[in-house]
Amino acid sequence: MRWSYLLPRLTLLLLLWAFFFFAFDPLLKWGMIKGIEKGTKAKAEIAVLKTSFLHPSLKIAGLAIGDSKEEYRNLLEFSELSFSAEGAPLLEKKLVVDSASLKGLRFGTPRKTSGKLPLVKEEPSELVDALVAESKGFALERAADVKTDVAADYKVDPAELESVKLAKQLEESYQKDYSDISSRVNAKKYEAGLDAMKARYEKAKGEKNFARQAKDYADIAKEVKKLTADFKKDKDEAEAALAKAKDAFKAVEEARKKDMAAVMAKMKLPSLDTQSIARMLAGPLIAEKTAQAMKWMGLARKYMPANTKGVLKNEARRGREVHFPKENAYPTLLVRRLELTGELGEDPLEYSGTVEGLTTQPQVYGRPTTAVIKGAKGARRLDFKTSVDATGEEIKTASELSYAGMPVAQLQLGSPSSFMVEITNGTGAFEASLKTAGEELSGKAAFRLAGASFKPKADNIKAAPLRSAVESSFAGLSSAVIGAEIAGTIKSPKLAINTDLANALSKAFSGAMGAEVKKAQEAAQKKVDEALKPYRAKLDNMAAAKQAELEGKLKDAEAKVTGAGEKLLKDLTPGKMKLPKFKL
Amino acid sequence: MNPLAIIRQFFQGLTAETTPGQIGAGITLGFLIGLMPKATLTAQLLIVLMMATRVNIPMAILTVFAVSLVNPLLDKITDPMGYALLTSEALRPLWTKLYNMPIAPWTGFNNTVVPGGLVLGALLSAPVYFAGRRFGVFYNEKFRDRVMNSKFVKGLKASWLLDWYFKGAV
Repeated sequence: MRWSYLLPRLTLLLLLWAFFFFAFDPLLKWGMIKGIEKGTKAKAEIAVLKTSFLHPSLKIAGLAIGDSKEEYRNLLEFSELSFSAEGAPLLEKKLVVDSASLKGLRFGTPRKTSGKLPLVKEEPSELVDALVAESKGFALERAADVKTDVAADYKVDPAELESVKLAKQLEESYQKDYSDISSRVNAKKYEAGLDAMKARYEKAKGEKNFARQAKDYADIAKEVKKLTADFKKDKDEAEAALAKAKDAFKAVEEARKKDMAAVMAKMKLPSLDTQSIARMLAGPLIAEKTAQAMKWMGLARKYMPANTKGVLKNEARRGREVHFPKENAYPTLLVRRLELTGELGEDPLEYSGTVEGLTTQPQVYGRPTTAVIKGAKGARRLDFKTSVDATGEEIKTASELSYAGMPVAQLQLGSPSSFMVEITNGTGAFEASLKTAGEELSGKAAFRLAGASFKPKADNIKAAPLRSAVESSFAGLSSAVIGAEIAGTIKSPKLAINTDLANALSKAFSGAMGAEVKKAQEAAQKKVDEALKPYRAKLDNMAAAKQAELEGKLKDAEAKVTGAGEKLLKDLTPGKMKLPKFKL
Repeated sequence: MNPLAIIRQFFQGLTAETTPGQIGAGITLGFLIGLMPKATLTAQLLIVLMMATRVNIPMAILTVFAVSLVNPLLDKITDPMGYALLTSEALRPLWTKLYNMPIAPWTGFNNTVVPGGLVLGALLSAPVYFAGRRFGVFYNEKFRDRVMNSKFVKGLKASWLLDWYFKGAV
């Protein structure tokens, strides 16, 4: 043995201890700061980070993460996060924390130093950009000229219409979907399967051993039933998939409405459609909040565990890792319970709550991650609960938030270039619910304002009667409701906004010069409809033809497969079996 | 592993433990370590074995680097071998037991290239050892004296710092 090698190991152990005692915490702190900065694209600070190895634990104090959008504001900060890990799971490369504590969590706090990172650009949000552009483009200035038959001069180019572009896209995607669905119902595969079973039946018919023949017949019958059931399942799935593909056509109607609003804006005429007015008023604000929420969701999804449930997961740098059943299965990382306290808003509302089942391997843990947060101060009430279920094939989340008695010092709706409402000194109540399943999302939110004063800024409205109608429609107002519904996918969310302020504004428009605007609108609508008509007709005809084609194909295949299957099952009935003759 | 200790053993090994058998054993051990993913307890234990036994360390280290370079190609053999072993019904109780033991998961035994690499390494250990031993004879005849008399080794010998650190072993 090389003793000269073995003896210095003690020195090495000493060095290792010194490394963990003096250098590990600063290195981990540095690594965490860099990781957070990479994820949030803003500066992050950690005041204290302390680890302990004898009783495995971690304590982080004074963490602040800058907001990439606002230089002197923190996205979040907390005063202390601490937890202790269980010893036994560590020996299995697992970090299991029975209870953790996060204290003083606050959002949107001011910071003294800049939180901006050099050479980092915030990616623009399509949703925010589109709604801000729509709000800016909301036209009021030529409302007075509406009688000059402005719609007659305006020409609609079909190539520029969103609805036409969408119809073309849908045509392509429908054809692709159809060929995918159609190829899925491959009748030949089932016919070949039935032929093979027929051959097995013929062979079994000649079998002299009665017991073996009975067993073969039973096996074949079982497989025939399975095959016909599989075919029926495929058929039903194909029909459902085709119906779902056709559902996407509904988006054309939505696009048509937007085209209408865009055409009206280009003609510099106000839209009377309450949806368009609501989008102009509350769109930018809601879109910004939604984009922020989506950003958080995107960040959470980035670190969310994969939903692969299989035994084999390719998660190693080299090779593949094969997992086996565990007697006491621990996920690689699990925080069973996290106690949470913090503050919300400028006049701080203290809240507390718990997060349970935080894990990187929910399939192993088998339970969803849940969070419940509550807070109250005077008339203010905060309730939040969420559940993230990644134990199945797709990740499902359900969240509910309610915040009542919120003070609203100042809120601006609309756009300075078209029309604005300034809301001051009110009280707000916000309620929202959001559900996601895989990429799909759906949710709604409502913000109720009460006891507020509404001050319209209608300087851009040049037509005096319209301006005074708009101003008077807001005069006696003290409450309002702004609602939003979100649907679509996480990558491409669709927002529908409604507010009773839009109704008031629409009434003002209609009252002042509604008839003329409506006439112009009808003319514009006619033009949009005429431009869209051939594309829409083409899409509908193609869908009808393809649906008929698939139905025929499925009917034909069903007749063949079910017919042949039933015949074979009839042949396999015990009555058709030759029973052995016993000489008594 | 302490990098300084490895460097020290490397320089010592240029002139000591250079019998053909020691060179062959060093190459064999290096070959086996080279096949393993290094961030596993298995690889670390093999490194400890390499450092603790009287094998030729420079040859072992050079072999580790050489084999690590061709790992993407060797993985194409070790990965299916390991997968076959890990999914074998006969061995399933053993793997399940290991999987449920403390420490064992640190060995990375459930990574296909670990058992695959160990089996390939074991199968090839004899030919690698004999080839290494022949290389050892060749090295001793042709290169050992040239290495000993090289400016690099002489320079190392002349350095008081290294002389003090290596305690005159070079």
